[in-house]
Amino acid sequence: MKKVKIIKISAVWCGACLITDKAWKKLKENYDFESVELDYDMDEEEVAKLSAKTVLPDFIFFVDDQEVDRLVGEVSYEELESKLLEVRK
Amino acid sequence: MKKIILFILLFLFAWIPVQAEEKEITLYLFHGDGCPHCAEEIEFLKKIEDKYENLKIEKHEVWYDEENAELDKKIREAMDITNSYVPMTVIGDTVLIGYSSSTGSKIERAIKHYMEEEYTDQVSKIIDGTYEKKEESEENNFSKKEKEMDEKVTIDAPFFGRVNLKNVSLTTASILIGFIDGFNPCAMWVLLFLISVLIGMKDRKRMWILGLTFLFTSALVYMLIMLSWITVVIKITTIVWIRNMIAVVAVIGGLWNLRSFLNTKDSGCEIVDDSKRKNIFKKIRKFTSEKNFALAILGVMGLAVSVNLVELACSAGLPLVFAEVLALNQVNSFMKFLYTLLYIIFFLLDDFIVFTIAMITMKATGISSKYNKYSHLIGGIIMLIIGILLLWKPEWLMFQFK
Repeated sequence: MKKVKIIKISAVWCGACLITDKAWKKLKENYDFESVELDYDMDEEEVAKLSAKTVLPDFIFFVDDQEVDRLVGEVSYEELESKLLEVRK
Repeated sequence: MKKIILFILLFLFAWIPVQAEEKEITLYLFHGDGCPHCAEEIEFLKKIEDKYENLKIEKHEVWYDEENAELDKKIREAMDITNSYVPMTVIGDTVLIGYSSSTGSKIERAIKHYMEEEYTDQVSKIIDGTYEKKEESEENNFSKKEKEMDEKVTIDAPFFGRVNLKNVSLTTASILIGFIDGFNPCAMWVLLFLISVLIGMKDRKRMWILGLTFLFTSALVYMLIMLSWITVVIKITTIVWIRNMIAVVAVIGGLWNLRSFLNTKDSGCEIVDDSKRKNIFKKIRKFTSEKNFALAILGVMGLAVSVNLVELACSAGLPLVFAEVLALNQVNSFMKFLYTLLYIIFFLLDDFIVFTIAMITMKATGISSKYNKYSHLIGGIIMLIIGILLLWKPEWLMFQFK
């Protein structure tokens, strides 16, 4: 099994980010992976390096420190889970 | 021989359909030079003059022409019209005072009615002195027909008694359009940011007051803008080309909304322009941390005003069609206020829910952007339908389906 890191970029003013929070927390509880949470406004420098999309939240999947995929927008737990299982195969 | 020829001729001509001579209907318009509603009716009559072959229009200017003024007086006296308002339209024994878009369709219904039913030119009878005054209780057939039509839009509802479907429809329209318009995300992100800052405060009372100030000021600003908008639309909607222009805007807006629904793949939060966002954040932080509470309230009110002015441009389509529907139905000032208030209550419902939950649970919550996506679909359909009806069947928007 590969080592996975997921960076979540969200914002306090983003309703979809708040909605997705529940699924994100559940994913962290159920699976073992490295998680990083960035705020679009507070962590400007890191966010700029990751070239965030124009829609939030932005979930960036890394395998061995290499970006392999992204999930953008309001996503369900199932979508997050299946992407995680797909990238860590 | 002659008899035989005559018989043959009679037999032949008997098969040729004889077109019944259509009666000429005269519409009398008593108007004043410089009266805007009279000018509107004259414009309207120009358009329908060619539509009805047997329609004759007689115009009498009564403000400057003494002879016409005398005739106007004579007719009002004979027909028991106690006011002297212009324009006054007389067709048969039907008198219509004033002019609005609904008068236009009423005039056409009256013309059609007299073409099919019994018609007597009462004005010419008044002029030649042969007019017979009707009993007060005696109603003409056209008025009866119109009353029946009004009754058709009235139902007996349990608990509420006799309910006019037109009022019910306008109430439903206010709630539905307001609710759908409320999902436009333009102001929601500002509210969420405000909530996140307020949650960080320890003073619950301050949190509630500042948050509610933001929401009530937003409601007030949006309502004032909408009311003035509706007042303007009511004044200009009788001008057909303006109504058509609003219809075209509604159709384009509807299609744009449907396109947004189909094209939105990522249902999430669109990132607002950096400088604008940072500027608003700075203001929110400044106002909420202001030690002088009165200044903090004023600051939040100012913020709500500026945000809602921007928001109006963001959701201009639905308030515009709502204003047009109210204008077409010629609602009075009190009802205009009530319907707009209802619209605003439902427009801000989602914001109030989000704010109340956050203040009670001390945790910010959002509304799924999927609802925003579907609000594009429903809003688009509403705008498209209203736009099309404005162009082809404006009377349907007045809940007259005949």
